[in-house]
Amino acid sequence: MGLRWYHFAMWAGFIALMYAMPELVSKGTLRTFIFANFLAVFAISWDVLSGRTGYISFGHPFLIGIGAYTTAILTKRFDVAIEISIPIAVVVTMIASTLFILPALRIRGSYFALVTLAFMELIYQLVQVIRPDLTGGTRGMSGIQTLTRGAVNGYYMSLSLMLAVAISMWLLMRTRVGTALSAIGMSEDSVLGSGLSTTRLKLFAFLTGAFVAGLGGAFYVHYLGSIAPRALFDINFVFTIIVAALIGGSSTIIGPMVGAFFLTYLLEYLRPYLPGAERYFIYGGIALLLYMYQPKGIYHIVMQAWERFKPGKSA
Amino acid sequence: MSHPLEITNLVKRFGGLTATDDVSFHIEQGQSVGLIGPNGAGKTTIFSQIMGELRQNSGTIRLYGEDIGDLSTPARIRRGVSRTYQVPRPFGDMSVVENIRVGLMPDSIWKMITQGPDRDREIELALSVGFSENDLNRRPDELSMGDLRKLEMARTMATGPSVMLLDEVFAGLTKGEISQIGELIQQMRRDGMTFLIVSHDLGALEPLIDRAIAINYGSKIAEGAYADVISDPNVRSSYLGVA
Ligand SMILES: Nc1ncnc2c1ncn2[C@@H]1O[C@H](COP(=O)(O)OP(=O)(O)OP(=O)(O)O)[C@@H](O)[C@H]1O
Ligand SMILES: [Mg+2]
Repeated sequence: MGLRWYHFAMWAGFIALMYAMPELVSKGTLRTFIFANFLAVFAISWDVLSGRTGYISFGHPFLIGIGAYTTAILTKRFDVAIEISIPIAVVVTMIASTLFILPALRIRGSYFALVTLAFMELIYQLVQVIRPDLTGGTRGMSGIQTLTRGAVNGYYMSLSLMLAVAISMWLLMRTRVGTALSAIGMSEDSVLGSGLSTTRLKLFAFLTGAFVAGLGGAFYVHYLGSIAPRALFDINFVFTIIVAALIGGSSTIIGPMVGAFFLTYLLEYLRPYLPGAERYFIYGGIALLLYMYQPKGIYHIVMQAWERFKPGKSA
Repeated sequence: MSHPLEITNLVKRFGGLTATDDVSFHIEQGQSVGLIGPNGAGKTTIFSQIMGELRQNSGTIRLYGEDIGDLSTPARIRRGVSRTYQVPRPFGDMSVVENIRVGLMPDSIWKMITQGPDRDREIELALSVGFSENDLNRRPDELSMGDLRKLEMARTMATGPSVMLLDEVFAGLTKGEISQIGELIQQMRRDGMTFLIVSHDLGALEPLIDRAIAINYGSKIAEGAYADVISDPNVRSSYLGVA
């Protein structure tokens, strides 16, 4: 689909602003931004897999975790170089995602979500029981090689990853395959009736989503230098990812990105007032209100405003 | 010589109900056949079996001589058969042209990514079923039932069929729309399309078909020239109060 000058202008403006950020904000804020960048990657990944097709995954950390553990174990236990372990982690995550296609062939709706939740629970149990000498068991792993030192470098690394993911997914989803995946979410039967193999399309969505999740998980673990299974396979983490995608605007790439920054900020802003888990309650409420006001998300609210004075209105 | 569509001893049961009861018929190349029968006779169920959306309990379905009984719906569509749905189910968040775009897509992810949409063909299809330029970016929730049927027709044509199954394309359409869709079907007949058409609107159906098949309670009760079928005593009694 046609790219217009304002697409380039918007991306260029956004990229310039983001790269200038370390000059503009404190180190503490920058660390918040790093988390937002990773959350954006995970939310984009979730949106490609679930947001479009309507196959809602509650088990996204399953994929992120496989990417993270694979590279962590390879580098720490087997001294594999990061440049090799990350690609391996991505491939392993993609292979693992094919498990999602089994329930997706037979069941739709909430049962699919439950099965994916079970995947997450399963891997949480597995890392504790099977070969804790490799996975670190319940305590996880620390002292994992890091890619960067300091907030500024960590920020640049996470930002570059996020932008690379966002732009490539944005371009991919603007092609007809993005249209076809959205069509599955609207009426899977009509997609079949239009002559398209929905199984193959769903598999493509799962593999693409897993590619991004594995990549994000692997980079995240090499940013943190540690892995804590309890935080990773936590239902709050799943909700944060899903809510970021939904309130930002599902089925768009920019939406989940916006949602990730919005949520991260909301959580940070609330921290001094509500240090505990009550924060999740508040953000749940805000997310719900926003969702009721505009189910298509923040992205849609902005786009409606933009449509009013978009240069050279096109058909 | 193999026929575009040939159905032999088709049986479909839903629990104790036999919705298709040993039905056999064929359609010759370029012919248009009307499939009539009262509500619940089993017309739509036959369509669903031809498309592979329902599996028959027994019997065979052949497309140009090939037994397509084990093929998936997309594989059947690739071989040239396509249907409209009695209850239109468009892609709700997509415009008219985008709905048609999905019908036009090749079943290859690689081609979906590397080749852009054929905008001219999308618009051509939309206009051919009677949409105006202003309708192209409308969404299904802004369309009338008549418009939704036209969209259903365009999406079906987009899959490039040589055998088209039309399920109640005239229901809910205005007189003007009926004659427009009728003219479109006539044009496609002249171009060699093979049709199987279900319609309760016999007045609209008659000029579009070469012959008719009547079914009742899942069984074929008459077949032949439209005038003969419609005056058949069995058909008259089953249609009593309907037509
Ligand atoms: N999926 C299903 N499960 C159970 N029974 C079904 C199913 N689909 C159809 N039937 C039944 O099979 C019979 C034939 O239905 P079908 O929809 O094929 O009739 P039809 O001739 O298309 O009717 P109409 O003119 O009302 O569209 C009906 O009695 C219907 O209730
Ligand atoms: Mg019917």
